[in-house]
Amino acid sequence: MTILPVVELIKSDCMKSLKDIEKELTPEEIAESYVFPGAKDKKDRKEILDVYRDYRKKISSKQSAKNKLIAELLQLKFLIEDYVTTDNYNAIYHFGYFLKEYISRIEKNNKEFAGEIDVAPTELSQVINKHRRPTEKLIYRLELHSNRNFPALLWFKVLEKERAYELTHDKRIIDSEKKHVKQKLEFSI
Amino acid sequence: MTLTNCATEENHEAVIEPITAKDLKIVKKSKDRFAFDWSIYKDQEVYKLRLKTSDLILGLMCLIDHADPETNAIEIELLEVSTENTRSTKKWDRIGCCLIAYACRESFKRGHGGHVFLTPKSYLLEVYPQKYGFIHVPMTSLARPLGFMVAFDEISRKLIKKYLD
Repeated sequence: MTILPVVELIKSDCMKSLKDIEKELTPEEIAESYVFPGAKDKKDRKEILDVYRDYRKKISSKQSAKNKLIAELLQLKFLIEDYVTTDNYNAIYHFGYFLKEYISRIEKNNKEFAGEIDVAPTELSQVINKHRRPTEKLIYRLELHSNRNFPALLWFKVLEKERAYELTHDKRIIDSEKKHVKQKLEFSI
Repeated sequence: MTLTNCATEENHEAVIEPITAKDLKIVKKSKDRFAFDWSIYKDQEVYKLRLKTSDLILGLMCLIDHADPETNAIEIELLEVSTENTRSTKKWDRIGCCLIAYACRESFKRGHGGHVFLTPKSYLLEVYPQKYGFIHVPMTSLARPLGFMVAFDEISRKLIKKYLD
């Protein structure tokens, strides 16, 4: 059984050793500042993970339906949050894609969900399939339906990202609007 | 996500992002700020925390994503706050807490239900539950005689709400 001592992972020429850390800081300060690594040996790692898996299995079997649903909705929310803050655009992740995911995770079909937010099923379907832009009223109703867990601002940011991409990449719009601009500035700033 | 300036008690926005090779070189040279040799984690998933207005790295964390359905959790392999922020004279508070909450968020985001675990030291068995709400799981192996500290479901949600929202 080989347990790689934590001290071996500390830079040999560093200012402090693990003993120094433990001597200088209180347990509370250590808990706020460090998580120390565990065993590195492959056999030890396997043994540790086997024990953890047993525990994980027990916990999973006891997870309530509510906690499972919350976890699935949080996953979606964090995926949306991260997507709207990255610079990368992905055509798959349009407003309708995330809306469809939301409906699917709360285990509704489109018709049921349309009824819950008082929107025509055809309108909902068109938004999901990217044949129609979502209205403000739809977005506010999504916020209310989710008990404000998915704020309107988050949905607007998804739309904004789509719009920004279209504005900079849709050459057809730019070309078709050119003929309407009779006069323009002749210099760059 | 904010850090608190201990002198002024003002909150300042912070960001957590993947570390770069350039960052690792800087950390390696910062012998008085980081005790661990982070260069050995260069091929792993390592994140840095910094203030939004500064490039100075204030904390580091290495995560292991156990994506297999049986484990389905994130392990915090190593976490370290810069030396000047580890004691009562520290300038910035909440660095370690934000990093741990970030691990919980990543766990939800990757479909692990907020499950996060780490290796406890014996003298921290009572501190982690008090500080973070972690549960001590005394299921032991020879290699990990103290068991695990775990967070999931509500515990992880509370940490995310408290430190990241």
